[in-house]
Amino acid sequence: MVDQNSNYALQTSEVYVHYGKKMAINNVALNFPKNEVTSLIGPSGCGKSTFLRCLNRMNDVIDICNVKGKFLLNGNVDIYSPDIQVETLREKVGMVFQKPNPFPKTIYENVAYGPKIHGIASSQNELDEIVKDSLHRAGLYEEVKDRMEDIATGLSGGQQQRLCIARAIAIRPEIILMDEPCSALDPIATAKIEDLINELKENYTIIIVTHSMSQASRVSSKTAFFHLGNLVEYGETGKIFTKPDKEQTNDYITGRFG
Amino acid sequence: MSSLEKRLAAEKRFKFYGMFAMTLSLFFVLILMYKIFSTGSGAFVRTTINADVYFDPNFIEVSSNSSKKEIMKASYVDLADQVINQNHSGLDEENFIKVREMYTRKFDYQLRDYIANNPNVIGKTVNLDISASSDLDQIVKGNYPRNVPEAQRKINDYQLSILDSLDSKGKMSKTFNFWFFTNGDSRDPETAGILGALMGSFYALLICFSFAFPIGLLASVYLEEFVKPGKITDIIEVNINNLAAVPSIVYGLLGLGMLIGVFGMPYQVPLVGGLVLGFMTLPTIIIASRASLRGVPPSIREGALAVGATKMQTVFHHVIPLSLPGTLTGTIIGMAQALGETAPLLLIGMVAFVMEIPGGAFDPATGLPSQIYLWSESAERGFLEKTSAGIMLLLSFLIIMNTVAVLVRRKLEVKW
Repeated sequence: MVDQNSNYALQTSEVYVHYGKKMAINNVALNFPKNEVTSLIGPSGCGKSTFLRCLNRMNDVIDICNVKGKFLLNGNVDIYSPDIQVETLREKVGMVFQKPNPFPKTIYENVAYGPKIHGIASSQNELDEIVKDSLHRAGLYEEVKDRMEDIATGLSGGQQQRLCIARAIAIRPEIILMDEPCSALDPIATAKIEDLINELKENYTIIIVTHSMSQASRVSSKTAFFHLGNLVEYGETGKIFTKPDKEQTNDYITGRFG
Repeated sequence: MSSLEKRLAAEKRFKFYGMFAMTLSLFFVLILMYKIFSTGSGAFVRTTINADVYFDPNFIEVSSNSSKKEIMKASYVDLADQVINQNHSGLDEENFIKVREMYTRKFDYQLRDYIANNPNVIGKTVNLDISASSDLDQIVKGNYPRNVPEAQRKINDYQLSILDSLDSKGKMSKTFNFWFFTNGDSRDPETAGILGALMGSFYALLICFSFAFPIGLLASVYLEEFVKPGKITDIIEVNINNLAAVPSIVYGLLGLGMLIGVFGMPYQVPLVGGLVLGFMTLPTIIIASRASLRGVPPSIREGALAVGATKMQTVFHHVIPLSLPGTLTGTIIGMAQALGETAPLLLIGMVAFVMEIPGGAFDPATGLPSQIYLWSESAERGFLEKTSAGIMLLLSFLIIMNTVAVLVRRKLEVKW
């Protein structure tokens, strides 16, 4: 399934993940087209978050987690190869988590942290510019421009999540992984994030795990349905939600299980 | 009785038990405090005898032009005797000794210090308050009974009559005993002070902190953040918890055997005391620090890792700063415990009689608790109030340190 087609930001095949002896992902192959939003849906425990965390090697932190498979970034970079520094991979593949997790530092420092450690900005002015630009893209700048030195944990949940998105895009990634980014937010904040995702896909490839099928249908062009560690079905979002090929998918999206 | 009534009655009973237990313990604390304060408050007051002191050049080996060093080296015993003869006329040899005993044995030192500070006084007469001896002091304070047979008294009938006549002339008075705060230890209770022990404890705690805090912090960070949990970390964990419960005297033995015995460090110095207290505090710091590292939410680590920070950057930029309030609180509480620890100091010799105030961690010294222990062992009544005053000082330092620990936690704690 892996080919050299560079229309894909990320290609995966033969992915197996084990937690100790327990299998979490069973032979999954998925490709993510560039500058599109792909949703991963499925019932709790189906492995969609585990799969997402493989894509920037966040599972490396978990000792008992064992990942096997092929992961190609831009058609040629094997992200699990020993030559690849995990830090440089994460510079290219950013991540936004389920619960907003800003650092308990100032708003400015939150966004500036990534560029600082990677040495992206060569001067203070450039750093200021990156912070401003990232906050702009995350749709947060107007709300926080007068309180950049306030502690970020004082922001509302929705603002915190957009700050986390700004933090992720400040290091100029190619891909942004989102792990249920709206599950801790109210509907208004959720709508803002969804609008933001629609804007961001111009420049970034976005892979989003979500429990909300309506969200998946609103934001994504491709959808993958996971069940018990297997990839059941993958296709155009419109097709998955109207005429799925598989019985299981149909049962899930019509709410018969899961 | 219905089941609800029974449950409510049980709740009431439980409340009552709790209040009873609290009142009882508060009562005991109050008794302790009352005892310490009523005994110890005397140490802050000193009885003095007013006397005209003629600094007779014939009895002084130095002159106004002598250097301070010479003045400090000279003897003033004869001058002191002369002052007593002038203020109590017509004493025969036997009575002279009795009167001399009413004044502090360090009379000559008091005169020396006065001359050292005012060299021009030689040849002049000055009215001075001379410290009374501790026994006289205790009689005046009422700690020794007067109405017992002479043989059972430290102050004999003749001295009592002199005391009464001085009193009627208004020559007896009491001053604030600043010596207690500025002097080192002394054989004479009236001149004994706590400063030497205080500085000894200070240097020991300084060493203790600079040894135990960095090592404890780094050990806990390594164990909590870097090492893969397994059999070995389990064994280390059990051992750290065990070490925290080891009696302090064992650490004293360790200091004696290893630091003094093997490494040949000097006996009786705050350096060794501080290291021993450091060994003792180390497990406490590690346990507190690990608990507070564990309290940092994993989402913060993930957030830092996800923007491409290395493990080390994640830990040093985010995790340690967030865990520091808890670590510091644990450290201060551990140090407060170390401050009150006596047994290790006894074993490494910080319990000897030291007059000089230590100028550093390498000078012989005692510590606050060992000084209290030393005074409590002394036979003289005058040391009893010093003992209690020492305890008061130790307790106030403990209260200060524990308050600081609470404040540090409140001030630096990050709210989520």
